[in-house]
Amino acid sequence: MAKRILIVDDEPRYLRLLEANLRTEGYEVVTAQDGAQAVDVFSNQPIDLVLMDVMMPKLDGFGATQRIREFSSTPIIILTAKGDEQDRVRGLDLGADDYLVKPFSATELLARVRAVLRRAQPAGDVGGQSRFFTHDNLKIDFARAEVWKGETPVSLSATEYRLLLQFAHHMGKIMSSEELLTSVWGPEYRTDKEILWVSIARLRQKLEDDAHTPKHIVTRSGLGYLMPPIEE
Amino acid sequence: MNIDPQAFLYIHDLMRIATTPEEMRTAIERFLATLREQFVFDNVAVYIQDEKTNALDIVYARAVGRAKNAEADAAWGETFAGLVLANGKVLIQEPESTPVTDDRLRRAYLLGIPLNANGLIGGALIFVRFGGPAYEQEHIAVASLAAELLSILFERRAWRRTHSELHQLKLQMQLQEDFVSTISHELRTPLGFIKGYSTSLLRRDTSWDKETQQEFLTIIDEEADRLSLLIENVLESARLQSKTLPLRFQPLRLDAVLRDVVTRLRARYKDLNVNMDLLAAPPLQGDGVRVAQVFDNLFTNAIKYAPGSPITVVLRKVDDMLVVELSDQGPGIPKESLPLIFERFYRARSEKATGTGLGLFICKQIIDAHRGKIWAESTLGQGTTFIIELPINPVR
Repeated sequence: MAKRILIVDDEPRYLRLLEANLRTEGYEVVTAQDGAQAVDVFSNQPIDLVLMDVMMPKLDGFGATQRIREFSSTPIIILTAKGDEQDRVRGLDLGADDYLVKPFSATELLARVRAVLRRAQPAGDVGGQSRFFTHDNLKIDFARAEVWKGETPVSLSATEYRLLLQFAHHMGKIMSSEELLTSVWGPEYRTDKEILWVSIARLRQKLEDDAHTPKHIVTRSGLGYLMPPIEE
Repeated sequence: MNIDPQAFLYIHDLMRIATTPEEMRTAIERFLATLREQFVFDNVAVYIQDEKTNALDIVYARAVGRAKNAEADAAWGETFAGLVLANGKVLIQEPESTPVTDDRLRRAYLLGIPLNANGLIGGALIFVRFGGPAYEQEHIAVASLAAELLSILFERRAWRRTHSELHQLKLQMQLQEDFVSTISHELRTPLGFIKGYSTSLLRRDTSWDKETQQEFLTIIDEEADRLSLLIENVLESARLQSKTLPLRFQPLRLDAVLRDVVTRLRARYKDLNVNMDLLAAPPLQGDGVRVAQVFDNLFTNAIKYAPGSPITVVLRKVDDMLVVELSDQGPGIPKESLPLIFERFYRARSEKATGTGLGLFICKQIIDAHRGKIWAESTLGQGTTFIIELPINPVR
């Protein structure tokens, strides 16, 4: 089956250039013109590889890469301007697999695409990750960073959302306060337990039916917190 | 401990005045008026050290009591202030114990408190009572609190000044940085297309049909033109900046120049809707090519930023000036952007602009070289008018 590649750029002439060359190699091509559109297109069909420009309106390439990485390990190649070492490092740190420096030649583009696809797992076989996460009546849409309690959308602060992702990504595992503080707030907050307590209390207020007997975020005294595995 | 609610309210009032941003004189005025409700004095003076010379400068003085009509004859503690600052502590100066005169104004009781805000400012607050009473411990306590608060007031002013200086500096640097990143992005984009499409055509492992080849070659051609225009613009604005671009002045009819520009634009934009109201103007001294370039730029901007809008151009004579007004009915320019649009490298940030941020800058340089003026007026949602005033005989 032909590999499907998502190309994201706000310059129509770049889209045309990438598309024309990729099609000669038998790839299927879908396009998006900004980061938000990219995440949408990505989450609605199986994609084998993303070619992502950095400077774009709405959501930029970094934001889109980060969003996609919340729920997928599909390879991403970012397209950056020459000399922007910081951009390349940032892209790779956010989970991009490779980068291509503009201006690039058509043959280099195709070689990079081949190389990254060779290393990658086929689409769909990404360790059970998907765009949506459910835990009882709690639902997370990673692509849109939205949270639902049953049919009701829940509004979370950016910090609360990151904290919830920690639990969702490690369902069934007890996480210590230090671990949670380090990954959500940063290492300098490692011992600042009170902000974690307040945030967990607030999350429970928003997500639990009864904040005193929580189902989603459970305290294990002296050890930490966990999202208990759902019994099938 | 019991807090006297009255005293608490009083201190609160003082603090509020000291921390409310308002004009310095008004703030001190209000502050001292409130202070006087609980603390009696006849004269008050605020001395602040000059940043450069360290000399004390009087920044505020008020006679509110017995010396109201004494003009410059009464005591203001000028020398005493220096003493207070040098000692860095509260000082009191009282007249000789036995009255040598009945004139109260010659029997001044001085209280001086240093003003200090973390080394940012130095100064002294001086109170004068004529003929007493002497300053008691609780008076000194109130006056010291006043001095602390006054220091905060001065400190905040110093911070505000520093803040606004830094802000200006940041804006300038931002403009420079924007230029570097804009110009490199603008130059790289066409270059990227030329590289990408030409290497596509050069691929040995595939063959493109005739139509695609034509498409790619057209893109390469257009992008090469865009690149060369960009480079020209950058060089031209640099030359205008350094005043090395020679202008050829000759008699020029503005109505004819405007008609030429519009005719040329009509060939490029078939739907162009221009209303012209042109006076048969007397010739003025100017460089025809450059002036035409200005009009061309203004028209092109109107076409780009107010697509579909009719454009009106009016040429009038006002005294010894010719005035051209070029109006569109587009979305308009926000008020805060109006003073910036003629700045080098300034670009409207909103949508995806393709310009170099040099067009209007170049226009202004050209009009300046003709001793003229160019500016814009705009109402959001209604349109923008560019106005150019050119003297008929520029004195060179």
